[in-house]
Amino acid sequence: MIRYFARRAGHGLLMLFGVSIMLFLLFQAAPGDYLSDARVNSQISAETLAQLRAQYGLDQPLPVRYWQWIKSSAKGELGYSFAYNTPASTLLWPRARNTLLLSIPALLISWLIAVPLGVLAAGWKGRWADRLFSGGTSALLALPDVLIALLALLVALKTGMFPVGGMTSINAQDQGTWAQLRDLSWHMVLPVAALVVGSLTIILRHVRASVSEVLESSYMRAAEGHGLPRFKLLFGYALPAAANPLISLFGLSVAMLLSVSLLIEVVMSWPGIGPLLLEAILARDLFVVIGAVMLSTVFLIAGNLLGDVLLYAFDPRIRRQA
Amino acid sequence: MTSGDLGLPKPEPLLRVSALSVDYDAAGGNVVHALRNLDLEIAGGESVGVLGESGSGKSSLALALMRLLPKNAHEVSGRIEYRGRSLAEFSLSELRAMRGAEVALISQEPALALNPVLSLGQQLADVLLAHGKLARKEVGARCNEMLRQVGFADSERILRAYPHELSGGQRQRVAIAQALICRPKLLIADEPLSALDAATQADILELLQGLKRDLKLAMLFITHNAGALASLADNIVVMREGEAVARGTMNALQVSQDEYVQGILFPEKSLANAAYKERSIPSGAPLLDVRKLSKSFVQKRLLSRKGFVVQSLDGIDLAVQPSSTVAVLGRSGSGKSTLARCIAGFEKGDSGEMLLEGNPITTAEKNKGSAWPPVQMIFQDAATSLNPRFPARQIVTEPLDIKRWKTEGDRNMRALKLMEEVGLDPEWASRPAGEFSGGQRQRLALARALAAEPKLLIMDEALSGLDMPLQAQMVRLLMELQERHGLTYLYISHDLNFISLFAQEVVVMDAGRIVERTTPGKLVQSVHPATRELVEAAERLHAPGVEAAV
Repeated sequence: MIRYFARRAGHGLLMLFGVSIMLFLLFQAAPGDYLSDARVNSQISAETLAQLRAQYGLDQPLPVRYWQWIKSSAKGELGYSFAYNTPASTLLWPRARNTLLLSIPALLISWLIAVPLGVLAAGWKGRWADRLFSGGTSALLALPDVLIALLALLVALKTGMFPVGGMTSINAQDQGTWAQLRDLSWHMVLPVAALVVGSLTIILRHVRASVSEVLESSYMRAAEGHGLPRFKLLFGYALPAAANPLISLFGLSVAMLLSVSLLIEVVMSWPGIGPLLLEAILARDLFVVIGAVMLSTVFLIAGNLLGDVLLYAFDPRIRRQA
Repeated sequence: MTSGDLGLPKPEPLLRVSALSVDYDAAGGNVVHALRNLDLEIAGGESVGVLGESGSGKSSLALALMRLLPKNAHEVSGRIEYRGRSLAEFSLSELRAMRGAEVALISQEPALALNPVLSLGQQLADVLLAHGKLARKEVGARCNEMLRQVGFADSERILRAYPHELSGGQRQRVAIAQALICRPKLLIADEPLSALDAATQADILELLQGLKRDLKLAMLFITHNAGALASLADNIVVMREGEAVARGTMNALQVSQDEYVQGILFPEKSLANAAYKERSIPSGAPLLDVRKLSKSFVQKRLLSRKGFVVQSLDGIDLAVQPSSTVAVLGRSGSGKSTLARCIAGFEKGDSGEMLLEGNPITTAEKNKGSAWPPVQMIFQDAATSLNPRFPARQIVTEPLDIKRWKTEGDRNMRALKLMEEVGLDPEWASRPAGEFSGGQRQRLALARALAAEPKLLIMDEALSGLDMPLQAQMVRLLMELQERHGLTYLYISHDLNFISLFAQEVVVMDAGRIVERTTPGKLVQSVHPATRELVEAAERLHAPGVEAAV
C-alpha cells in the first residue's frame, strides 16, 4: 500500500519536472523578456542594459538558466523576481496561502452540497423536482465565471452587506485576533460563493449521472427486493457503488477550482495567485510566472493524490490491485 | 415488522395471482404484452415451477410479484393477493416490510446481484437490520449461521470478503443466503442457475432442494430448463408469450400432446427430425492438426516484479477431420477457451505447432491483408460481440467489407443469402442488431462467421447463453449447414447438451491438459474424475427421461 502511494507521488514529482522544463521552453519561444521595454527607452544606455542582462542571468543559455533555477528552488527561493527585486518565493507563499483560503472552503462546500443533492436528484429521476433541477443546473452551467463574479460584486454594492472586493478592511490591523478573523471570513463569503456556484453545477451533474446509472443496475433492484429502506438504498448502496468516477472527478475539480479561482481573484481583487500571475505575465517577470504555474501544478497533483487515497479507501477492487 | 403486524387474516393460499396482465411501453409507441391473463396459486411450503422460453414473460412475473416492475411496465388488469390481501393495497412501508422478510427474490445473474463495493457481511447484515428482526449483537451470529446453511465452511472469511473475490457459484450461494436470512415464507427464484457452469448448477439445485425441505419454504422457480424442475417442483406452469399454456405435475406434462410443451420438455426430440445419421469419424489427413501446444500466462501483481505462472495449455495434441465435429468439454478454467483462441489466432502458443491443411496457422496480426482467415469463431454472448447499432446486413458484410470483396452490391446480395441460410428473414436486413432476440443474434453471428467461408468454425460456448429449445434449433441448423457445405466444427462447451447428437468425437480437458478422448456414446462409461464430474452434473440437472442429452 505504501509502495502504491510512493509510486503515485513519484509520478507527481516527475510531472513537476516535466512542467518546469516545458515552462522554460515556452518562455524561450515567446518573444521579448523583462528588459525588452527598457531597450526602447532612450534614457538607458546599451552598456547599462548589457550589465542588467548579465545581472539577471538573461544572457546565459537556457540549460544554464534552468540549472540555476533548480539550485535556487532547492534553497526554497524559486528564482528571483525582476520586478520586485526579491526571491520569487517571498511573493508566492502568502499569495498561495490566500488562494487556498478561497479554494479549499469552496471545494468542500461544493462537494458537501453536490453529493446529497445529486443523489436525491438521481432518486427523483423523471419527476418534476428532477426536471427543475436539471433546468437549473443547465442555466448555471451556461453562465460564464466572470459574470458570476461580477454578479457577486453587484450584490455587494447594492445590499452593502458585504465588502466589495479585497481581503481585509483598512482598519483590520488595529483589532484583536477574533475581530480580524471575522473580518477575513466576511470578506471570504462572496468570492467563495462565486467559486461554489461556478464549480458546483458540473459536480452535481456528474453525481446525478453516476448515481442514476447505478440505480438501474440489477444489484440495486436486488437490494430493493430485500426490503432495504429508501435512504439506505440511495446513500448506503448506490452512492458507494457510484463513488469511483466521482472520486476521480474530485482530483480534477481541484484543477477546475484553481482556474476559476484565478479569474475570480482578479475580478474581486483578492490578493491570491491570480492577480500576481496576471501582473507577472504582463511584466514578463519570468520566475514569478514559473513559480505561480508550478504552485498550481503542485495543488493539482496534491488533489489527484488525495483522490487516489480516497479511491483506495472506498473501493475494495482498487485495494486488491494495489 | 413481523408478518403478524400486517394484520392479515388466516391464509388460504400464500399467494394467489388472478388474471394478471402486464404491458410494457416499448420504443416507437409500441406496447408489448408481457403477461396475459395469468392465474397462479402457491400454498405454504409448495413449490411451483414456471417453465418457458426466453421472452415468455417469466421474469416479468417475478418482478410483478415483488412489485418491482420497471417504470415503463403497467399492470393492466388482474390481482395479486398475498395471504388474501391485494398487493395493490399495500402501502410503501408495508411493501418494504414484505420484501425480503415475507417474500424474497433471487435473480439470474449472481455476479450482478451483489453490490461490488460493500463487504458481504454488511450486505447480509443490512437485510436483517432493515427488518429489525434481531438486535445488533445477534446479527453477526445469524449471518454466520445462514452462510453455513448455504454451504460455506469458512463463513467468517466470506463475511469479510467482497463479491469480486468469490466465484460465480459462491456468489449465488451468498445471494441465496441474503434472500433467506429473514426466513421468508416464499422464495422467488428467477433463473438462478443459468449463469453458472453445469457442475455448479447441480450444486445450487441441490442446495435449494435442501433449504426448501429444512425451512418449509414455498418456492416459485422460474426456468427454461425442464430438467431442473423435475426434482424440485410440485406443480409446473408452462408459459408462452405471457400466457399459461399448460399446467400440472411433471409426469402429467410429459404425456401432454401439446407441441410447445413437448418442445420445451424434450428439446432434443426436435432434432430427431433433422437429417442426422450415425457418421463415423472420417479418416485421412486431418484438417486441423495441433501438436504439443503449450501456453502459459504470467500473472503479475501491479507492483511486484515476481509473477506466478498459470499453465493454461500443457502439451495439447488434437486432430480434427474435415467435415466432422469435435467437442471440447471441461469446467470453466480448464483451458478450453485458450485453446480456441490459439487456434483462431488471437493468442500465440509458447511452444508446439498448429497446422491447418498442412500449413502453419499464423496469428491474426500476421494474417492481415492476405485472403480470408481460414478459422472463424462464434462467442458465447452474441449480444456483446455484435455492435447493437449496426444493421444486420452490415454485421454480416463486415468481414467482406474488410477484405473489399467484389462490389458493394455483391456483398449485400451475399449477406441476404446468408441470412436466409441461417433462418433469418432477409426483410430484417436493415434492422439494428440490438432489436434481435438472443437466439436471432446468435444466428446473425453465425451468418457473419460463414460470410468468410471458413475452413474451420470454432464455437466457444456459443449455445450456453440460449435456452434449451433455442439450443436445439441452433444445433439443428448447424447440422444442416454441415451436411450442405461440408463444414468442420470445433464445439466448446461446459455441459453435455446435445453432444451425442452433434459431435463425433469428444475431448475432455482439465487443468490445461486433454485428459480423455472418446466418443459421445462412451462418455457415460468413463472413469476419469473430470469426465465423471461433467456426466454427473448433467445427470443431476436433467432427471432421467426429461432430458436425454447424454
